Amino acid sequence: MTLTERPGIDMLKVVGMGVSRFSQTFLDVYRTSRTFRIGLIMFVALVALGVGVGSFSPFDPRRWYLVTPNRPPGLDYLLGTTTNGQDVFWLLTWSIRNSLIIGLVTAMVASHVGLLLGMLAGARGGLLDRVLMVITDSFVVIPALPTLILLAVLLRDVMTIPLMGLIISIFSWPWPSRQVRAMVLSLRERDFISTSIFSGYGVWGRVVRDYLPFILPWHLVNLTNTVLFAISSEAALAVIGVSILSEATLGVMIYWALNYSALFRGLWWWLISPVITIILVFVSLFLISKGISDYSNPRLRWQAKG
Amino acid sequence: MSRLLIFIASRLVAFAFTVVIGVSVVFIIPRLLPYNPVEAQIGFIYSIGQFYDPTAIEMLRQTLYELYGLKGNPIEQYFAVWRRILTFDLGPSIMNFPTPVITLISIALPWTIGLLTFSTLFSWTVGNIIGTVASFFNHKKFSKALTGIAVVLYPVPYFILALVLMFTFAYLIPIFPLGGGLTLVGMGLSLELALNLAKHAALPAISIIIPGALGWWFLSSYTLTTQKKTEDFVRYAELKGLSSRVVLRRYLIRNILMPQTTALGLALGGIFSGALLTEVVYAYPGIGRLLYAAIINNDYNMIMGISLLSILGVSLATLLLDLIYPLIDPTVRYR
Repeated sequence: MTLTERPGIDMLKVVGMGVSRFSQTFLDVYRTSRTFRIGLIMFVALVALGVGVGSFSPFDPRRWYLVTPNRPPGLDYLLGTTTNGQDVFWLLTWSIRNSLIIGLVTAMVASHVGLLLGMLAGARGGLLDRVLMVITDSFVVIPALPTLILLAVLLRDVMTIPLMGLIISIFSWPWPSRQVRAMVLSLRERDFISTSIFSGYGVWGRVVRDYLPFILPWHLVNLTNTVLFAISSEAALAVIGVSILSEATLGVMIYWALNYSALFRGLWWWLISPVITIILVFVSLFLISKGISDYSNPRLRWQAKG
Repeated sequence: MSRLLIFIASRLVAFAFTVVIGVSVVFIIPRLLPYNPVEAQIGFIYSIGQFYDPTAIEMLRQTLYELYGLKGNPIEQYFAVWRRILTFDLGPSIMNFPTPVITLISIALPWTIGLLTFSTLFSWTVGNIIGTVASFFNHKKFSKALTGIAVVLYPVPYFILALVLMFTFAYLIPIFPLGGGLTLVGMGLSLELALNLAKHAALPAISIIIPGALGWWFLSSYTLTTQKKTEDFVRYAELKGLSSRVVLRRYLIRNILMPQTTALGLALGGIFSGALLTEVVYAYPGIGRLLYAAIINNDYNMIMGISLLSILGVSLATLLLDLIYPLIDPTVRYR
């Protein structure tokens, strides 16, 4: 091999390695961590409720006055009905689905942008690193919630569920990017990185082959945390009335319940159902992320196995 | 010595950069709003139905543009904003015209600072103590119970908890008022007034303290202690025969304090943007509610003023922490 030749990266092989490592890790975590198991089962149940059961809904969640309003929970209406004449149970399944979509969009966009920029800044160093870090730091400093409210008001007419996820992404990439960069910096001085450099691997080669395997467990944790952040941001926007009020999300359900003073008129099921569901979503995702992060810290894993 | 100067200078330059970028973003975003406050005002005057001389309306329009700080093209406006920032004149509020923004902020700020400084410091102290202790005795029952509570409390958004608390303590068991900052109880400083203040601040404070102390601060100090506990110097201290009290106080808490102080600094820097949702939910007359009202009413100057305050707060806190850190942590050197 001459010096000008660079060892190529067989992307297929890398992906294959990634998939087998991923499924192995998944099985390991599932076996060893009870936290992860409980979280995953809760989460799968919620997804089944939102995506599976929800698609059989007899009512369009965007239409009002389809059923008798203000009915308490019972045999006719499992979780009662709202003042708008909506069935709380079927509304809830749609809300879970939409909230999860927002979380998923943000997790797919923001945490991968953060991962990419962080690794690039850390692995390349120099001017690119400085520029990226100044931009990242500025985004950390800008107050997120007020700016989100502004953007939501501004885009009110064209707002859709996936767009909401994209907007929330604006404030969810800087923090992971900083963390990833810090991790890459601490790895950069190790011997195997020098070996890679002397073998002629470029920045991307090192990123994919050397850094990624170390960062992957952390990235999975961050992915779940981003879903959490996105769902709670949308709910925050909804509670003060600047989300998509015509669609059904968990936050929007809370908004309408508050708007019609559900509690003070004794319609507790209207407010309590989305509040409890949102708590369940958060606890399940948090348990999943905690299970993975406990597993990825070898000292703690050893302790847990005794 | 010169290395120290270079360190300080580089931090100051980074600080200036973040403030400039932050201000620019905050300048651009409200101007993207599909709303022109001056034309809205003129439209309102027309809608009353009286007849006005067109030249008088035109003059009024010019005066309003000037007063609202919306005169000239965006670049001129941008420089005008910087001139105002540097002279501490943020212009009149648009929703409460013509009261200056500064006046409204200075009325709301003490409420927020009072509420948030107290509840942040309180939850930080309590959370760190119980987190460290619970992690140190992690096989005891109380530790398991606390971790269970934290796992439920931490991920739940704080406004959800605020709603639950409000339902329980203002509706089911009405021991606290539903909202507001104060009910009039007469003139002058008195015990009655202080009690009234405390009663109104109690629920907002509790809904910040509970998730803070039992959720975030508890979990972060718990995790940090669990990591530190397995390190060699702690094992050595235990093998040396030191009592667990000494190990906890002199070996663990000291090491936990360092990263937790950083986090506390950032949290305190963040109080200038207020606890927006808590204040909105409880109708508490602080900065957060002011900002919410400003956004709903398209009050550019107010949004600008409060965002500026919060940007300055966070970046100043970061700067100070960067500068002070080498003093409290000998392992970090000025680089």
